[in-house]
Amino acid sequence: MLHRSSIGLLAFAAALIATMSGARAADEAKYPNWKGRWEVVNAPGLGGQRVKFDPNKEFGPPQQAPLTPEYQKVYEASMADQAKGGLGNFAGHSQCLPGGMPTMMTTQPQEYVITPPTTYILLGGADHYRRIFTDGRDFPAGLEPTYQGYSIGRWIDQEGSGRYDVLEVETRGPFKGPRAYDATGLPLAFDNQSVFKERFYLDKKNPNILHDEITVFDNALTRPWSVDKTFRRSSNPRPDWPEVYCVEGNDQVVIGAENYIVNGEGLLMPAKRDQAPPDLRYFKQTSK
Amino acid sequence: MSCRGSIGALALVTLMATIAGAQAAEMKYPNWKGEWNAINPRLGGQGVKFDPTKAFGPAQQAPLTPEYQKIHEESMADQAKGGQGNFLDHARCFPGGMPTMMSGPAQEYIVTPETTYISVGTDLRRIFTDGRPWPTDIEPTYQGYSIGKWIDEDGSGTYNVLEVETRGPFKGPRAYDATGLPLHFDNESTFKERFHLDKNDRNILHDEITVFDHALTRPWSVDKTFRRNPNPYPNWSRISCVEGTNYVVIGKDAYFLSGDELLMPTRKDQAPPDLRYFKQTSK
Repeated sequence: MLHRSSIGLLAFAAALIATMSGARAADEAKYPNWKGRWEVVNAPGLGGQRVKFDPNKEFGPPQQAPLTPEYQKVYEASMADQAKGGLGNFAGHSQCLPGGMPTMMTTQPQEYVITPPTTYILLGGADHYRRIFTDGRDFPAGLEPTYQGYSIGRWIDQEGSGRYDVLEVETRGPFKGPRAYDATGLPLAFDNQSVFKERFYLDKKNPNILHDEITVFDNALTRPWSVDKTFRRSSNPRPDWPEVYCVEGNDQVVIGAENYIVNGEGLLMPAKRDQAPPDLRYFKQTSK
Repeated sequence: MSCRGSIGALALVTLMATIAGAQAAEMKYPNWKGEWNAINPRLGGQGVKFDPTKAFGPAQQAPLTPEYQKIHEESMADQAKGGQGNFLDHARCFPGGMPTMMSGPAQEYIVTPETTYISVGTDLRRIFTDGRPWPTDIEPTYQGYSIGKWIDEDGSGTYNVLEVETRGPFKGPRAYDATGLPLHFDNESTFKERFHLDKNDRNILHDEITVFDHALTRPWSVDKTFRRNPNPYPNWSRISCVEGTNYVVIGKDAYFLSGDELLMPTRKDQAPPDLRYFKQTSK
């Protein structure tokens, strides 16, 4: 049988533990576990490049992007230029400019760092990371253009389990550009007024699959274009995070509207057949 | 009083206190939220430098070996003629790496139990605080591999110091500042840092950083400080180097891109690029 003082001590300790546990549990249990390294899942056997908007189709024309007639023409002109050695609508990539939204969500590996006011998506490649603000702020006025846009998110407990399971995100510009969905130069509108809506959540059957259902609203499209990007969690508890900088492996040089190649000897070469060399009017000496 | 009952209550309380202690330990991280901007006294010259209390370049009084003092002088001589010296990779927009990246503006510190992330402009550092050992077979990087340890130096119940060691192998060449003040080309630098808030001002963050490098005659230590932006919604600029550069690097030569997007020399009597692979002649 317990003495009165023991009961009092027990009650105090229980209350203290409950308060501390409750505070900690309230924070940790509120957010899903998206820790680790995530790799892009593309439908197998499609060939071609990995960077594309719809992971279930090949990149380029098989994406069947709902382009307006005007932007279908822009796209065809881009591919025609690339067929001759040019860069088409993908010139920014050769300068190692960021891909921006939505292409950056195809880079890997990815890491999701969740804090109450902000969810950070850390990415490989020239885009490096996204901030998704979940602190209840409104979209500010006077935003500077960026390649990644400005993202505001909202956590949802869709199942009523007491734990958030869905992150809904809206991303607005103004954007920098031009941006393209993939290396063929599949274009977003040059007005850079895209808006993106996303829903991030773990797969119900496999918590090591993360979904990013993404819809783009863009004036180059006849209708909103939605896809479900998925990412697989690496089982390695201490994954590698490679440091990737586009500029390191880039052999392209862009001078004005023309792109050239720098060969292994460090000499300039044409990128397309019969390409004229760069204009050297500002040099006193003549070139070889 | 029932002895057995009291002992049982005591045991239960002890257990619960232990649990509370463990749980409380996980909550003890300092508040480093917000945007942090480098504090540089007005000394003239560039803000990107190792020792913030001195002007950049030779005024840093870096304890270079005679060999690397020569390399620094050659770098500056080349720059005086319009070249890039030991800072050529910057013209290509290669990352500065350690330690230069810690001179970048607009830093954000994201503290989680396993990792502290430092975002610096468009770059990101990871400092692993999960107790891991140093891995073998690390790939060379510009920023190195960082392992940290939280310390409760005051015994206050809250961690207040993050001690960090950063090892390579590094990529390079790396320089402390735009004069090309060099780190050793062997890329075997090591860095030790202590991050902590200022005792008198919680809106000042210190990064006491020491570099161990074979280009130096001794370890070189400085105290970099950063001021927290009072704006609760800071504007996180995402301008990358490649967007604003007007350099074009072909091989080992850097040229300018003029306003009319034509190639220009960066130094007097600089030869144009070799065009042997072009069929047509240039103008």
